[in-house]
Amino acid sequence: MTTADAYRTALTGPVRAPLGRLLRSELRWVLRRPRTQTVLGILALIPVLMGIGIVAADSPGGSGLLTQIAGNGLVLPVAALSISLALLLPLAVTMAAADALAGESAHGTLRGLLLAPVSRTRLVLVKAVGVLAVAVAAVAAVAVLGIVTGLVLVGPSGTAHGMLTMSGTEIGPASALLRVSLAAAWTVGQLAAVGAVALAVSSATEHPLVVLAAVLGGLIVFGVLSAIPALDWLQPLLLTTGWFAITDVLRDPLPLDGLASTSLRAACYLLIGLALALARTATREA
Amino acid sequence: MTAGSATPAATTSPAEVHAPAIRVRGLRKVFGSTVAVSGVDLDVPAGAVLGVLGPNGSGKTTMIRMLLALSRPTAGTVELLGAPMPAAAGAVLPHVGALVEGPGFHPFLSGRENLRRCAAAEPLLSSRAIPDAVQGVLSRVGLSSAAGRRYRAYSLGMKQRLGLAAALLVPRRLVILDEPTNGLDPAGTRDVRTIIAELHAGGATVLVSSHLLAEVEATCTHVAVLDHGSLIAAGPLAALLDGGAPALDVRTPDSTMAVQALRAAGIGAAIRPAGVLVELAGTDPPSVVALLVRAEVAVHEVQRWRTGLDELFAQLTEGHSQ
Repeated sequence: MTTADAYRTALTGPVRAPLGRLLRSELRWVLRRPRTQTVLGILALIPVLMGIGIVAADSPGGSGLLTQIAGNGLVLPVAALSISLALLLPLAVTMAAADALAGESAHGTLRGLLLAPVSRTRLVLVKAVGVLAVAVAAVAAVAVLGIVTGLVLVGPSGTAHGMLTMSGTEIGPASALLRVSLAAAWTVGQLAAVGAVALAVSSATEHPLVVLAAVLGGLIVFGVLSAIPALDWLQPLLLTTGWFAITDVLRDPLPLDGLASTSLRAACYLLIGLALALARTATREA
Repeated sequence: MTAGSATPAATTSPAEVHAPAIRVRGLRKVFGSTVAVSGVDLDVPAGAVLGVLGPNGSGKTTMIRMLLALSRPTAGTVELLGAPMPAAAGAVLPHVGALVEGPGFHPFLSGRENLRRCAAAEPLLSSRAIPDAVQGVLSRVGLSSAAGRRYRAYSLGMKQRLGLAAALLVPRRLVILDEPTNGLDPAGTRDVRTIIAELHAGGATVLVSSHLLAEVEATCTHVAVLDHGSLIAAGPLAALLDGGAPALDVRTPDSTMAVQALRAAGIGAAIRPAGVLVELAGTDPPSVVALLVRAEVAVHEVQRWRTGLDELFAQLTEGHSQ
């Protein structure tokens, strides 16, 4: 058979690149990107700065979470997560989602993927994994640096090297670490919801800035809406409602209602966001 | 093969019994009130090198994007390699390499890393074959020495070469290149021609769009001319070149005498530098030469006058807009 004949044999069925290879390639791309590394670095600084601030202030008698940290190292990662969740963590995740589809489209690289071809459904799923990876890395950066800073700068509480809860009881170090992990996992869930919505916006535009503005603007609007008493009925619909539930992990016994209901709400946002992203990408002109 | 013809199918040669590599019927694309592509019918036989010519904004890129299922046609059908698009994209596109709307890569990655990322998505490349495939294609497009530099530091020509490399990562049955010589220096243009010739020799079908006519004349076996979204001519390059008004280029020092003799015989002729151009309407070359010799005109050289593709192109586009 000559080469020319080989070119005329019938096509086989659809062929696809191995999914594992696509995911590895995506993760390497996401995590090697300079802006991802910068934002992870900034996030890692948050617990360190908080720890330094608390040690430097060293003034007992204040109120709230931050005073709780003084002399209670393992509270620091939870406090740092809670504070970063207000803006910085959603920013990190939204940036990743903005680059995932809108950014690739702007660079002309989305075409390359579609021409390879990567099916449009697969493309969204691979991108979703990439965004999730950034969410996990961002939360891990805050939590791990929070734990280390807390133990080094602030020191373990009491005698048990564990955690003094807000309820006044003391729990052991293993149990305390478990609670920090719970807080981290819950935060990843909330960020996954933010990421899915951001991915949906990203699938509808080729301007990454539009994604950033829409999602972060949306979160700010949610905050404003939840502060208006007349709009109380909206509360169950807003993603940001109950984000303070993260501090529940510092209570003893652990109340799960707030964490569960916020996670359920996040799951709804996640599904809606992914469905919209899939639908929009299916018909997108690339 | 006339302008505006509804079915300018590229060939009907009996040797080509196989499905055309590209088959387009009634292709149309409308953006709002703008008709970008209207009613394009096109057959590209397997193994051909088709040059798609057209001025800027004539719908070349829009047509190519629809061929590759990057954009949805408003109406019409596309078959690539005998299979319908976009339904069979998963089976067809692995065999298709394309450079569309300029190269698209990530600025913070090196050329090699960018190609690795493209290669990871290529269904026909095994993971083990990727490093060699990337290295091979980098040297094929002449980027070996710059492979480790970041894409953002590449010159326009290097970017274009990298885009070409991505299209050639895998041996392809069909290669579609949208303005491949944009930003290339003369050496780069020559390299692109060589690559197209290699692909052609290997049996692949190539579609190359360009607004540079010389480019198409040098590399293509077939030509399609687009203007205002319509296909106004398509066919084998040689047929289109001969399709202009037939004429004879006669080299002679006695041009005035020649024109007088020809006009007296009712044959149209015009003085050109170093000779006359004789219209062949209603006559043939032997009669013209005999007539000139009888009129004692010194004939140094007689040649069938071929319409340059740019003259043809100008004729086609001007005729269409009138």
